[in-house]
Amino acid sequence: MAEFSLPKNSKVQKGKKYPAKAGAKNLRTFRIYRWNEEDGQNPHIDEYEVDMDSCGPMVLDALIKIKNEVDSTLTFRRSCREGICGSCAMNIDGNNTLACTKAIDDCKGDVAIYPLPHMPVVKDLVPDLTNFYAQYASIKPWLRTQTPPPPDAERLQSKEDRARLDGLYECILCASCSTACPSYWWNGDKYLGPAALLQAYRFIADSRDEDTGARLDELEDPFKLYRCHTIMNCTNTCPKGLNPAKAIGEIKKLMVERKGV
Amino acid sequence: MSAYKITEHKYDVVVVGAGGAGLRATFGLAAKGLKTVCLTKVFPTRSHTVAAQGGISAALGNMGEDDWRYHFYDTIKGSDWLGDQDAIQYMCQNAPAAVIELEHYGVPFSRTEAGKIYQRPFGGMTTKYGEGPPAQRTCAAADRTGHAMLHTLYQQSLAHDAQFKIEYFALDLIFDAAGACRGVLALDMAEGTLHLFRAHGVVLATGGYGRAYFTATSAHTCTGDGGGLVARAGLALQDMEFVQFHPTGIYGAGCLITEGVRGEGGILRNSNGERFMERYAPHYKDLASRDVVSRSMTIEIREGRGVGEHKDHILLDLTHLGPEVIHEKLPGIAESARIFAGVDVTRQPIPVSPTVHYNMGGIPTNIHGEVVQKVGNDPDKVVEGLYAIGEAACVSVHGANRLGSNSLLDLVVFGRAVANRAAETIQSGASHKALPDDACAAALANLDKLRNAKGSRSTAEIRLDMQRTMQSDAAVFRTSKTLKEGCVKMDKVFASFEDVRVADRSLVWNSDLIETYELQNLLYNAVATINSAEQRHESRGAHAHEDFPERDDANWMKHTLVKVDHKGACSFDFRPVRMNTLTDEVTSVPPKARVY
Amino acid sequence: MSTPGMDRSNLRTPLKEVRGLGSAKSGTRHFIIQRVTGLALVLLVIWVVGFVLSLIHAGDYAHAREMLRHPFAAVWLIAFIITAFWHAQLGLQVVIEDYVHARLVEMLAQIAVKFVCAGAALAGVVAVVRIYIGQ
Repeated sequence: MAEFSLPKNSKVQKGKKYPAKAGAKNLRTFRIYRWNEEDGQNPHIDEYEVDMDSCGPMVLDALIKIKNEVDSTLTFRRSCREGICGSCAMNIDGNNTLACTKAIDDCKGDVAIYPLPHMPVVKDLVPDLTNFYAQYASIKPWLRTQTPPPPDAERLQSKEDRARLDGLYECILCASCSTACPSYWWNGDKYLGPAALLQAYRFIADSRDEDTGARLDELEDPFKLYRCHTIMNCTNTCPKGLNPAKAIGEIKKLMVERKGV
Repeated sequence: MSAYKITEHKYDVVVVGAGGAGLRATFGLAAKGLKTVCLTKVFPTRSHTVAAQGGISAALGNMGEDDWRYHFYDTIKGSDWLGDQDAIQYMCQNAPAAVIELEHYGVPFSRTEAGKIYQRPFGGMTTKYGEGPPAQRTCAAADRTGHAMLHTLYQQSLAHDAQFKIEYFALDLIFDAAGACRGVLALDMAEGTLHLFRAHGVVLATGGYGRAYFTATSAHTCTGDGGGLVARAGLALQDMEFVQFHPTGIYGAGCLITEGVRGEGGILRNSNGERFMERYAPHYKDLASRDVVSRSMTIEIREGRGVGEHKDHILLDLTHLGPEVIHEKLPGIAESARIFAGVDVTRQPIPVSPTVHYNMGGIPTNIHGEVVQKVGNDPDKVVEGLYAIGEAACVSVHGANRLGSNSLLDLVVFGRAVANRAAETIQSGASHKALPDDACAAALANLDKLRNAKGSRSTAEIRLDMQRTMQSDAAVFRTSKTLKEGCVKMDKVFASFEDVRVADRSLVWNSDLIETYELQNLLYNAVATINSAEQRHESRGAHAHEDFPERDDANWMKHTLVKVDHKGACSFDFRPVRMNTLTDEVTSVPPKARVY
Repeated sequence: MSTPGMDRSNLRTPLKEVRGLGSAKSGTRHFIIQRVTGLALVLLVIWVVGFVLSLIHAGDYAHAREMLRHPFAAVWLIAFIITAFWHAQLGLQVVIEDYVHARLVEMLAQIAVKFVCAGAALAGVVAVVRIYIGQ
């Protein structure tokens, strides 16, 4: 059954407060989810006051400032800090997004930061994305062709056909979309989720790929594909402005097209 | 010292790092039938190759006349004659095949009207040996080429069933009694457990160390781990003084704005609105090589023609390109400029300043990716079992200054080369000889020290000291005075690491500990960099020494080799620059004045 | 809300878990029928609402029965009953698939929904037919 209440050891409790240094005027409070398997405690929300006069504009800047200056045990993933690597996806101010491109000024009141929803937590803001990555691998996300390519030249592709990949290939696999999807929350073990489906469509839409039929065959399943109920959270939350819901719609359209009404 | 439980694994080859080079090597090795595992501290598509924007160079000639020999010439000139010409020939000659291979793998390159791979002009890329018009040589997937490539290479790794150990951090290299590299000791970050990966070969593909500086286009994870591992093992690094400043990092944030912007027609302007590059590089203007443009910008700022409140940056103007070109060719930088500079690029210029971007130096290797050291009179003695590729390595194809779009090329060409070499020299399934009993002793002692570090200074404090020192004293322009001061300061910073404090005592995903390891690696690289810069008394490529403003081929056309001991003290040696070409298909380019 | 802790007790590979039983090679037919019945219901519901209003307007029971004995009315009403329960069954099936994850309970629920919908549809059809043939 879907779980409507949290297991006992998941109940989130109040945590510690870390006030800013005396004299700081321009303060913002960051309420951050903390959980460490090894301390045996329930998850808790720690509150950190940060002096915005000495902090960068993005939520990631604040997290790094906290880690550098206040509490080095605060744990989160980060790398490129420019919105292209997808490491720092988390739930900020109620939405899944990248901490590095989310401006603190765009958050209302205290900034609440949680790990991506409905994922097992490894520690603090670090979710376990093993299942998510396996789903990506399961759609066989590589160009599948039978015709040998020209030996000394590229395959040709028209500009129009190449343009069909725009809005698809840019995905950074940050998992914001999939973990924002209620359908993925309830059936993440069987539903591929918007990210994997967007990538499945990226190859279906590629004029060079010769395996469209097999790709559609693999997706034709009440759970893998059809758990999408066009809730649109994926598209609303995508930090790169992509539209996974539309890609899923295109896959369904092709399914109907080849089957006939 | 606590007793640590170590799980042992046996492979033919271990690759450390899953960026462009690491992935190309990993599935290349897997395809050759070698039992290969790739250790990576971040999920492969998070590696910093993903942030490369402009493209990958190859003389395909899709957009006008081109020849790999022109590319060869440009790369040597770009390197300011410090690049090894045999390696440069190898890279440029193999470039078209490498890019075509990438297309066959599925990279979504932008296209020409004829359906071929789209190519754009880039800095320092010319035709007819510097006499012709700018070459359109840089193959692009809009302005997200690195992202498109890295994802495709990971996809190919999946297709080849390559093995990964994700979020494993390499602690130290393990050598046998004869000094051959025979494995890596790594920490599984998710569990906090130790794993010894024994192998006949270890490939380091760990990337650069941009984070030794305060402002860099590099990711937080670009911490020169390979350089740190090698230096701790007592091996020499090469040409560490050559640090590339990219002309166009977003002012303040440091995020990269691709050179492709200028390739597509973008123009740098000073506070007078002047296109000042016309004065510094009359022929190629904004498309001169990066060291030249960065220096020109710095001079403009110094002479009071910078923009902004503090007159400390420059404007990159692309408003004249029109929304269509920007939307089709440069959508990613339009997004970056909006988010990080609050600029609408169709209407406003982007504030930019020279920002640390790339390390030409690294672990010295030959064209097969085998790590070499100078032993006695042999400058090319191979360290058995150890390989390095990509930004971590110094082949050297980039010499004193890398040309834009040669780095993605470097990754795939030498990633492939190392796989081929390992397949020739390593017999799959060969038995692993016993390691000395104390093979892991130094690595474990270091781990134990850092894990329990109770000093007075946090990792972040020491890191900030290092970054500020490097930023001010090993900058675009260097002087004897700043470099000497910088060396003294860096010695102190290095020494202060003895007093480091790690607050997180947990095992699972202990990022405090990992950052401390990364800092340790950075410190070796930083000390090597500033000391190498201090001892090179000339100006060449990215190393602009104001007390020695001329290139000095008679005394300094040689690679610096630097060893850093565990106290941070540096010792130097030199290797000759290889002026010979690989074959007679192209002739060696003798040094001459470098004018763009 | 995220759940703390990874389940490491399972020794299977992630891909094994994700691939599960593979593709059922079905779902599109369900998708199509759900939409086609949905479309049909839009038209049918408009008629049914009008018909029910006119039944109320008609006043007495006898008159209502009389109206139902018109072949057109009977056909539309039967079409409505079948389509509505068909559509309901498809919809409820999805809801159960979404939320009920105990295998046995789910199977029983799915069968129950099918029986109830089929039974209700049959009963409705029989009722209309009985009125139509004047019983």
